[in-house]
Amino acid sequence: MKLRNKIAGMAVLACSASLLSAPAFSQETIKLGLSIPLSGSGANWGIGSQWLCDEAAREVNASGGVKVGGKVYNFECVAYDNKYNAAEGTKVAQTLLRKDGAKFIAGSLGTAPARAMQSLTERAGVLMFTTAWGPSIKGPNYPLTFTQMNTPLELVEPLIRYIKKTHPDIKTVALLNPNDASGQDVEVIARRVWEDVGVKVIASDWYERGTTEFQPIAAKIAQLRPDVVDLGGAPPPDAGRVFKELKAAGWKGIQVVEAGTGADGLMSTGGDAAEGTYLGAAVNFDDPSATDLQRRLNEGVKKATGESVNAIQIGFYDAVKALKAAMEKAQSIEPKAVAEALPQVTFEGAYGTSAFGGKDTYGIPQQILVPVIVTQVQGKTLRQVDRLDSQELKERLQKASQ
Amino acid sequence: MQTLTQLILTGLQIGALYVIFSLGLTLIFGVMKIVNFAHGQFFTLTALLIAVLYPFFAGQGYSHVMAFSLVIAIGILASLVLGYLLYQFGFRFFQRDLAGSFILSVGFVLLIEGLLLHYFGGAVRAVPHFVEGSITVLNVNVTYQRLVLIFVSLVFTALLYWVLGHTRTGKAMRAVSIDHEAAMIQGIPYKKIALTGFLIATFLGALAGAVMAPLAMVSPTVGADYLVKGFIAVILGGLGSVPGAIVGSLFIGFIESFGGFYFDPSFANIAIFVLVMIALLVRPNGLMGNG
Repeated sequence: MKLRNKIAGMAVLACSASLLSAPAFSQETIKLGLSIPLSGSGANWGIGSQWLCDEAAREVNASGGVKVGGKVYNFECVAYDNKYNAAEGTKVAQTLLRKDGAKFIAGSLGTAPARAMQSLTERAGVLMFTTAWGPSIKGPNYPLTFTQMNTPLELVEPLIRYIKKTHPDIKTVALLNPNDASGQDVEVIARRVWEDVGVKVIASDWYERGTTEFQPIAAKIAQLRPDVVDLGGAPPPDAGRVFKELKAAGWKGIQVVEAGTGADGLMSTGGDAAEGTYLGAAVNFDDPSATDLQRRLNEGVKKATGESVNAIQIGFYDAVKALKAAMEKAQSIEPKAVAEALPQVTFEGAYGTSAFGGKDTYGIPQQILVPVIVTQVQGKTLRQVDRLDSQELKERLQKASQ
Repeated sequence: MQTLTQLILTGLQIGALYVIFSLGLTLIFGVMKIVNFAHGQFFTLTALLIAVLYPFFAGQGYSHVMAFSLVIAIGILASLVLGYLLYQFGFRFFQRDLAGSFILSVGFVLLIEGLLLHYFGGAVRAVPHFVEGSITVLNVNVTYQRLVLIFVSLVFTALLYWVLGHTRTGKAMRAVSIDHEAAMIQGIPYKKIALTGFLIATFLGALAGAVMAPLAMVSPTVGADYLVKGFIAVILGGLGSVPGAIVGSLFIGFIESFGGFYFDPSFANIAIFVLVMIALLVRPNGLMGNG
């Protein structure tokens, strides 16, 4: 009896001690789904994006998590390989939403897999961030979809206008794009802008993602002798291969890649042929003007992928930070409430203070407001040649400070 | 005229790679009457090892030629070991079993591709050319690397023909492919011949990976694209027919070249499938198949 009482007393003491030492908030985990290419030409984009999501989640969790309604939530990034195509993107979407029960997609890379994801997320009430380029992926019909990087509507015009200003004698351009939603989206806009600046589009061709033999199409393009070859939505390894074949075919001219995200991938396959290429989606965080955060993120991505960070990947870091801000503003983790709060908040992203806007262009504020940076491969390194900050963000921050 | 010459040369180059690849596929079918979807993994493994090891050996001070020779040898050897393991622990139990070998080989593809993705990562790697520079042939610019590809394809196709026609092992393989029971009655060691045939096919797949590596973007999934085209070449030419595999491969090479030039690569891919369907409607056993 005495022993039994002693044991009971010790148990009560132990329970009291554990209650007293328990944190004020109990912690739960919010899964952030990622639909990204982890193999093939786009693999480095995906691997870097995953690292950035994990890094942002780690920072959020380390700084006390997301505080909503008296609870603390931690973020956890869950990634699957969408192989940059719609079929795999559909499987990834099903896995994330049905098996993992994710309510937030912190990034969907590739327009084709993003569309597959969106067909489920909007119906299921899941909030999705995407790097998908097409304007058709946004709008009042898709209130839970947010774009986490500049799209062709934001970056193609400054890029092409800069090139025409720098090379006023150019008269003709040949376009080559991957034959999927990403390529089709950028082709439409690039064609319009080239024509607007007085450069005639003399060819517009397509190739399937996964193509490794570019010689026939390079021979065709070289024979047309365009002043400019614009590879639109081609990932850097593909673009490098095309430029290498063009050089072997004897073509010389201005090289442009709107989806160009960095010199490393371009040069690994293109070698010297990549020299002088203009890129629309690259950033140079090796530059002396880069912030400590930008350098740290750049180093982390370099370790993970062997290449510098790029504009496509940065959106995955920004999305996590945006989610934290929006959840705490809405004081809710329900996707619809968070989606309503997102356009109202500012957050500290990789470029500095950022927000979501673009209502005048898209009818609903779903577009992340970040600078457009034009870069060029010069002497085997990437140099920033032009920068355009978001006017809407500048006005909003000015208003907020008054 | 220059355009035509360019396209013919391009078609030959593309076809040459498919020839080396598809010869291995058709040899396996001829000897063992199985379809090996894992053939692309020999191609991939060799290419990946070359992409990973060349910078290492070059960095250790080996000359370009020595480094390349070493990594090609290592890559092909690794694929031969893989091929031996797949045969010993898999395919030898499914000989002459088309459905079983199909399922087994698909399983091997998933396993090997998963392992390659895990250990090598999914990112694309580039391999420098074995021979840099180009030459003008009939007013057309051709890189030396592509000429090397054509040369290697010619040499090893001729060598395979010689082996099949003039060596004891080659004649035994032909006998087995015609009638394996009769061949066994004649004293031909079927199991040994099957293994030999499988390893020769593995070698050809690995060789294709070695010559392709400097011309394409190497990743753990690169074998899949060539596997599809290789199978189309073999089926078009006739399963088990060596001349058929050559004809089928060149056919695909020329479609890719002419189609990619006059239309675009997407159209060329569609055209390949459509033309193969038409060819099979006319000749269900392939252009040079015998039923």
